[in-house]
Amino acid sequence: MPASLRSNRFILIALLPALIVFVLFAVLPILWSIYYGFFQWKGMGDAKFIGLGNYRDMLQDPVFWRALRNNLILVVSAIVGQIPIALAGALLLTANTWFNRLIRSALFMPMVLSTVVIGMIWGYIYNYQFGLLNQALTLIGLESWTQAWLSNPKLNMYAVSIPINWSNIGPYLIIFIAALQNISSEIHDAAAIDGATGWRKLVSVTLPMIWGTVVVTIVLCIAGSLKAFDHVIVMTGGGPAKSTELLATYMYNSTFAVYRYGYGSAVSTMILLISLLLIGINMAVTRRKSS
Amino acid sequence: MNKNRFGKTALASLAAMALLSACGNGAEENGGASTNDSGAGGGKVKLTLWHNFAGDDARAKTVRAKIDEFAAAHPEIELDAQAIPVDGYRQRLSTVAAADEMPDVFLSYAGSHIKGFQESGLVQPIQELLDAKPEWKDSFLPGAFDGSTFDGATYTAPLAMSATSFLYYNAELFQQHNVAVPKTWDELMAAVDTFNKAGITPIALGNKAPWVAQSTILGSLADRVTGTDWFKKAVAQDGAAFTDAPFVEALGYFKQLVDADAFDKGANTIDNTQAEQVFIQGKAAMMVSGAWTLTNLATTPEDTLKKIEVTVLPAIAGGKGDANTISGGPGAGFALSKKVEGDRKQAAFDLIYAISGPDAQKAIAESNSMVMYKTDVDSSKVTSLYYKAFELVKTVGITPVYDAYLSAEAGEAINNGLQEIMMGAAPDAVAKNLQDAQARSLNP
Repeated sequence: MPASLRSNRFILIALLPALIVFVLFAVLPILWSIYYGFFQWKGMGDAKFIGLGNYRDMLQDPVFWRALRNNLILVVSAIVGQIPIALAGALLLTANTWFNRLIRSALFMPMVLSTVVIGMIWGYIYNYQFGLLNQALTLIGLESWTQAWLSNPKLNMYAVSIPINWSNIGPYLIIFIAALQNISSEIHDAAAIDGATGWRKLVSVTLPMIWGTVVVTIVLCIAGSLKAFDHVIVMTGGGPAKSTELLATYMYNSTFAVYRYGYGSAVSTMILLISLLLIGINMAVTRRKSS
Repeated sequence: MNKNRFGKTALASLAAMALLSACGNGAEENGGASTNDSGAGGGKVKLTLWHNFAGDDARAKTVRAKIDEFAAAHPEIELDAQAIPVDGYRQRLSTVAAADEMPDVFLSYAGSHIKGFQESGLVQPIQELLDAKPEWKDSFLPGAFDGSTFDGATYTAPLAMSATSFLYYNAELFQQHNVAVPKTWDELMAAVDTFNKAGITPIALGNKAPWVAQSTILGSLADRVTGTDWFKKAVAQDGAAFTDAPFVEALGYFKQLVDADAFDKGANTIDNTQAEQVFIQGKAAMMVSGAWTLTNLATTPEDTLKKIEVTVLPAIAGGKGDANTISGGPGAGFALSKKVEGDRKQAAFDLIYAISGPDAQKAIAESNSMVMYKTDVDSSKVTSLYYKAFELVKTVGITPVYDAYLSAEAGEAINNGLQEIMMGAAPDAVAKNLQDAQARSLNP
C-alpha cells in the first residue's frame, strides 16, 4: 500500500509540468472563451454582459447554419474518403518491399507539406484561367466541363474537401499499418486453416481485430474536420460570399474582420459543443457495433 | 486582478492564432507588446514601434530606411521597431488592444480603424506636434486629416493617399481593337463587348479578399450615381438609407458589368496581385485598382509599363455625383499610445516627425507611392505610370472610400454582397443587408 501510494505521488509529480502547461494553455483559455461568449465586446473598451444573446444571434444567422452544413460535408467526406482509402492503402501495402515503401512515402508526402503550400498548390490547380484541372479537361476534349471550381457555390465545397482529404490520408495510413502489423501471425494461420481468405477474412478477422483503431481514427476525423481552417482560409478565405465558410473561419472572421470578440468566443464554444456531441454519437454507435 | 491574468492567457492564444495566420512571412519577431516602463537601463528612453512596411516593395524599404536613420541618429533612444506583414497587421493590433498593451507608436488606418482606438481611449492626439511644425502641417493636401480628427484633435498624419479607383488600361490593346477610351457608361459597355469578342478579359479583378470590388469599383461608381452628400447621410442613417433607389441603381450598374462578363469567371478566387499580373501580361484590357497597383507594378520593365495608361471611371448619365473623381482619402499614419508621457512622449514625437515629416513624404512619393502632401517629384526617379497617375490626381476630385466610413459589420455586408451579385444575387437584397448592418451597428 505505501509503495503504491509513493508511486502515485511520483506519477503526480512527473505529470505536473505537462499538466500545468496544459491547464494554462488549453483549459483556461477554453474557460475564458466560454466566459466571453456571454458578452458583447469589440475587443477593446468595455464588455457588456448580454447573457445568451450571442447564441441567439448565432442560431438566427444563416451563415452559421451554412458553416455548420459545410463542416458536416467535410466530416462525411473525411469518414467516407480518408478512412477507406487509408485502410485500403494499408492492406495493400503491408509487405515491406521496395515498391510498397515508395508508394507509402508518396501517400504520406502531403502530410509533411505545410497546409498553406497545399492550399496554394490546389488554388492554382483549380484556377479558372490557367489552372491544371481546366487545362487537362480542355486537352481531352471535355471543354464543356471546365469550371470556376472555387467560385461556383454548388461545387466549391466539394472542390475544397478534396485537397483536405488528400493531405490527411498519410497519418491514418501509418496508424492502420501499425494496427495491422499488431495482429499476430497465429491468427492469420488459424484463418488460413479455416479457409478464410480475401473478403471473408477481411470482414470476419482483420476488421474486428483492428476495430478499436478504426473507432479512434473516426474520432480523429470528426475532430479534425470540425476544426478545419487553414486549407480553406488559404484557398477561398471562406468565400465567395461565405459559400465555403466553415465554423472555424466563421469564428475567425467574426472576431478579426468584424471585431465581435464576444460573438467569436460564443462561436468557438459552439464548435466545442458540436464536436463533443458528434464524438459522443460516434462512440455510442460504434460501441454497440463492436459488442 | 486574477481575472486579468486569465484574460491575458486567453489572448496569448488568440495572438498565437493571429500569428499563425500571418506565418510564412519571416520578417516579424514573436515579441510581446509594448514595454511601458520608461528609463530602465542607464537613462535610455525605450520606445516600441509597430508598422506594416514589412514587404520588399520600394515604399516599405523607404520607410524602413527612415526608421533606421532615426535609430542611428538617436543613440539615447532604444527603439524596438517591428515590421508586421500587412495581412496580419490589423489582427495583431486588435489582439494587443484587447489586452490594453498597445505599442508606443503604431501605424493606424484613417477612418474607422483609428476611431476605434480613439473611442476606447487607447491613443492620444499628435496635435501638439502638428502645431509645433506649422510649415509641415500646412503642406498636407485638403482633407488629409479628415479621417483622423475627432473632437478637434488630430491623431495621425497620413503617410499615403489611398486613391482607390484609377482606371488603368492597356493602350496597345485599345489601339489594336480600335476601341476608344470610355468616357461614358455606354462606351465602357461597348468596350467590354468588343474585348470579350476578341477573347480578352475586359476588366481584370482579383476579389478573393472581398474588399477589392467594393473599394476600387463600387465606391467610385456609386458616388457618380448618388452624390457624396447622400452617402454621408446614409452612413449616419440620417435621412437616407442604403435601400434608396439611387444606391440600388448603382449596384445595378455593377451587376451590368457582371452580366456582360466584364470580369473573369474566377475573379472571386484570385487575389489582387494575380489580377495585376493578368493585366500587365496583356491578358486583360483594363483594371480598376488603387494607388497600390502603382507601387506593385514599379518593378515591371519600363517598355511594358509604358503601354499602360491611367484615367478615371466613365461618367454616368443622370447621376447626381461629379464624374471627374476618384475615390480616395488619407491613408495610414502613426498614432501615439495614451500611455506615453514625459521624455518618452518627446522622443515619440521626434520619431513620428522623422518618419512622416517633409523629407519622409518626399522619399515616399519618389518610391512610386501616392502621398497626401504637397511635394515635387523628380520624374526621373519614378516610373512613367506613376508619374501619369501623380499628374492625374492633381486634376480630379476625391470622393469617399466606402469601407473607410462604414462600420466594420456594414463593410463586411457590402463586400460579401458584391460577391453575391457576382454569383447572381439581386441588387435590392444586397442593399437591404447593407442597410440592416449599418443601422444595427449605429443602434446596437
